[in-house]
Amino acid sequence: MMKNLENIPVEQRRRTNPLAHVFDEFMAFCQSRSLFMLHYCTGCGAVELPPVMTSRFDGERLGISPMVSPRQADVLLVTGYVSVKTLKRVILTYEQMPAPKYVVGICSCTVNGGMYWQSYATAKKLSDYMPVDIYIAGCMPRPEAVISGMRDLMEKIRTGKADSWKDYFRNYDHYLGQQQRLFGPKWQTPTDIIGEAEHYGLITKNTRGEHTRLLEEHQKRLEPLEMRL
Amino acid sequence: MSKELARWMDDLLQEIDTLKFERKNERRVRVDVDSKSVHSLLELLRGRASFVHLSAISCVDWIDEGQFELVYHIWSYEMNTLVSVHTRISRDSCSYISVYDIFPNCAFYERDIHEMYGMYFEGSPCMDKFILTEWDGPPPMRKDFDSEAWVNEHFDWQDYHPDWLQELETQGGGIAIHPEEQRFSRRNKE
Repeated sequence: MMKNLENIPVEQRRRTNPLAHVFDEFMAFCQSRSLFMLHYCTGCGAVELPPVMTSRFDGERLGISPMVSPRQADVLLVTGYVSVKTLKRVILTYEQMPAPKYVVGICSCTVNGGMYWQSYATAKKLSDYMPVDIYIAGCMPRPEAVISGMRDLMEKIRTGKADSWKDYFRNYDHYLGQQQRLFGPKWQTPTDIIGEAEHYGLITKNTRGEHTRLLEEHQKRLEPLEMRL
Repeated sequence: MSKELARWMDDLLQEIDTLKFERKNERRVRVDVDSKSVHSLLELLRGRASFVHLSAISCVDWIDEGQFELVYHIWSYEMNTLVSVHTRISRDSCSYISVYDIFPNCAFYERDIHEMYGMYFEGSPCMDKFILTEWDGPPPMRKDFDSEAWVNEHFDWQDYHPDWLQELETQGGGIAIHPEEQRFSRRNKE
């Protein structure tokens, strides 16, 4: 099956349409105006999101609306401290999202551990484990700050600067190394990141390295979940 | 009625020589007892004095005395009284006998104490990992576990003086107390 897929000829055509650039800009504008966010409510910052989304501050007027599944979301909001156990789930969620994807770290805890800086159970820098587009600092940031941060993100998307998701594919070895440092050498996720990087054409010399080799050594084939009533 | 019951219980408990009895207030009683007699006392209180609810088991690490203190909080709905049974266990042996046959709900508390303090409970149904499923370090709630050192070993810190902040810092902005000074202040004092 996989072999057949590889044999499909992929044609790399030069873009000759003079309006292609205009079309790209229009696409970026539309993308920035329609953000589906997946709020992974890890900590206390989640309390500030209901006022952002509901009638008081009304995030939907900016085109931001919640999404239930990571498969259809654009923005991953990590609100508050990320414990080591939660971090695994956050990474799984992040890797399931389709590109282009953006990560917003809300609260001081995602910046540097916040008030949990001394805790053995919480991860300190979110950007060690996945690329973060915008940090909204504060303990906790008020809805105005969240809205302002989201507007910054929209501006970054519109101007095409929000491409840190590419960084995950380009420097996958670094991110995987940080994850392995915390979760041990047997850490593996169901998503084939290197395969995706090939798909997006984002393989660099930092994509593969000693950590991905370690992953390949320990990688187990995924088995379908057993269904039981 | 419940007051009368409480008075009777006080009188009875005070007559036992091997335990130290202290009534804190109307609804709280503290009992200090030798580690050998905890089970018989709990059995007695549960079977004969309606203390059917084990609210919690807490653990205190008295590192200077080389002891762990276990506190069994049991509640009676008839008497409306909380009895805290305190006992001390040597830190070296670090194992104790489960009260699973008296209070089956102790299993979770004992599992939790096993994880956080490394205390082993014989006869407890499950001593597997409970909350810290990823944890492979020493039991983190012990007093000799240095959380700060562990954090410094396993995590990196954000750069507090990035280039883009320098301009703000020259104008008097930025971070007033440097985190490095704040963070390790406690260690420097020692």
